[in-house]
Amino acid sequence: MGRLTRRRFAQMSGLAAASVAMGGVGRAAELREQAGSAGLVEPAGAADFSLEIAPYLLEASPKRRFQTVAYNGQVPGPLLRMREGREVSVTVRNRSKDAEVVHWHGLFLPPEADGAMEEGTPMIAPGATTSMRFTPEPAGFRWFHTHTFAGGDLRKAQYGGLHGFLMVEPKENPAAYDREYFLALHDWGGSMTGGDDGSMNPVYDVSTINGKMLGFGEPLRVKQGERVMLHVLNSSPTEVHWVALAGHKFKVVALDGNAVGRERVVDMLRLAPAERVSAVVTMDAPGVWVLGEVRKHVQAAGMGIVVEYAGASGKPKWVQPQDLVWSYEGFAAGAKPEQSGGEVTRIELAFDSKFKGHGAQEKWTINGKSYPETEEPVLVGGRRYRLVMKNLSVDEHPVHLHRHTFEVKRVGGSAELYGLRKDVVLVPAKSVAEVEFVAEHPGRTLLHCHQQDHMDLGFMMVFRYA
Amino acid sequence: MRKFFWVVMCVAMFCVGARAQGNYEIQVYGADTVPPKTLMMEMHSNYTIRGQQQTVDGVYPTFHQDHQTLELTAGINDWAEVGFYVFTSVQEGHGIQWVGDHIRPRVRAPDSWHLPVGLSLSTEVGYQRAVYSPDTWTWEIRPIIDKSVGRWYFALNPALERTWHGPDVSQGVGFAPGVKVGYDFTKKISAGAEYYANYGRLGAFDALHNQQQQFFVVSDLNVSPAWEINFGVGIGPTAGTDHLIVKGIVGRRFSWGKRSVVD
Repeated sequence: MGRLTRRRFAQMSGLAAASVAMGGVGRAAELREQAGSAGLVEPAGAADFSLEIAPYLLEASPKRRFQTVAYNGQVPGPLLRMREGREVSVTVRNRSKDAEVVHWHGLFLPPEADGAMEEGTPMIAPGATTSMRFTPEPAGFRWFHTHTFAGGDLRKAQYGGLHGFLMVEPKENPAAYDREYFLALHDWGGSMTGGDDGSMNPVYDVSTINGKMLGFGEPLRVKQGERVMLHVLNSSPTEVHWVALAGHKFKVVALDGNAVGRERVVDMLRLAPAERVSAVVTMDAPGVWVLGEVRKHVQAAGMGIVVEYAGASGKPKWVQPQDLVWSYEGFAAGAKPEQSGGEVTRIELAFDSKFKGHGAQEKWTINGKSYPETEEPVLVGGRRYRLVMKNLSVDEHPVHLHRHTFEVKRVGGSAELYGLRKDVVLVPAKSVAEVEFVAEHPGRTLLHCHQQDHMDLGFMMVFRYA
Repeated sequence: MRKFFWVVMCVAMFCVGARAQGNYEIQVYGADTVPPKTLMMEMHSNYTIRGQQQTVDGVYPTFHQDHQTLELTAGINDWAEVGFYVFTSVQEGHGIQWVGDHIRPRVRAPDSWHLPVGLSLSTEVGYQRAVYSPDTWTWEIRPIIDKSVGRWYFALNPALERTWHGPDVSQGVGFAPGVKVGYDFTKKISAGAEYYANYGRLGAFDALHNQQQQFFVVSDLNVSPAWEINFGVGIGPTAGTDHLIVKGIVGRRFSWGKRSVVD
């Protein structure tokens, strides 16, 4: 079989644009097949895309069901394909009982559309419908999700099913692969449990890939010799996940939708909450395999999916790794780019927690204050900033900056890094991470830990533009 | 006849006090169990400042008895453990004496049940020498309910006791509850109160005067997940109770079998 690049595929389909809204039935059907269990948004009236937020009963397996809220009656929500720089219209109808907001994670949108009430995006009242138009940028693997407050209800906000894939297709896509799948890692049935360190953290009954426990979803069907692009999203409300594909390796080409400075072949992927990894797998080991969580107890809770070669049969095979291996550093460019440098303004941030009792969750602070009392640093447009994030706590924190892409400069005592562009970075416990970004998207900009329980308890701050 | 009655009452109330491990292990249990591949080693040190001063029916007085109890608890799995006790007594005139041994299996409701409270069930059986307790073989079943709410901690142990060998073998089942209320002043320092009682036989409680009633002011130091430190001072206002006791518990957790990061 000849190689089929994404670009070539689009040409063969007679469709220059990758947006489903612009595609025909044949195109949508082909993309649906490629997207695995992720569905597609069909053109909806005047809007290019339509999302409906409504109650949904997720069947992770015949014995494990979760009453949740979902987009368009599916978990994960639909795969939206947009074209970089081409304006789209989106309609969101809220049929749930709670006010909602859709955050377009990783896009450079104005605050009123970005999807965070802390920035000024209006909430969508129960029963209300809102419409928006925006121009998706930058290209890459993004996602959309709820950005509400869960409080003590571990079924709400990101604990539930309100998350979906967003692929912003670049104007040119040189990536060479034959098939692509989108996979969302998620945890369900959470409850708060006291830990040895005196804090309370969620633990989960069930973990899924694309809403299904291992053995209960459709397998990823591949053919020998194919290069399969896996776009993996960790939509878990709180948990870091490690995944491996037995008998295969991953060539990581993008992190958080941004091409890495150096592509690297690895045995496993690590994704903190909200992180994405795009990796190509060469299908050179015919058989039936498990792609699943590396840690035994998480895979036993369901986090896995079967990968099935055409013509292969039998029980899916799993090869248990004996260690957890991952580092950001390996994906940074090997050398300092010539044009890097210039004046950088440092902003020091210290993350810590305040004990509230062994029967309560900790309160989270940035520079000693919890949101909404946190500082509001003022950014000057065009200036480059370095966030020096000192994590004084014993927890790791996946820190997300809205409406901007940052460059990871240092993590946990590493040397200076170059070319590693992300929108979430996992700040190690009792350590420091440094990122740089250019203030080029005016408006209120939220920075927060992407763990739902942490952001609910104060781990947020807003940057303002001068 | 009246004299005989009082002798019987006196012996009976002492038996009640001794049966509930007496002042050998003074602790309200929490619902958590020791994790697998872990051994919890605790030393309970209790000293009776003001207690019974006479030998009654061959049983040594509790006055100025220093009780040292070694408790070893091993985790079996995520919801079960087994504990083993070695009771000793140090007292002027008697030296260091072995008092007895108990074994205590315990199970708890798994986390996956998502109960709103911690819940476990302990059963304890053991022997103690007649000079320290006229009932030499006893059995106890102890439901354990606990709950942390913010800085507050609540635990209830409504224990039931039964004598298998000794004068009280025909006395049926006794009711001996324990209650604890604690407050986290800091992450490492908690303090509160503990209540221990033995009301006597179910359906025919003793008169209050003859019941065991103890109130402790206690403090817990959460200095490390590997250590357990508790100390307190307790009073017994009824005639059936030792009147003033100080207690201390120091525990150390030992784990073995390196847990892999991929487990």
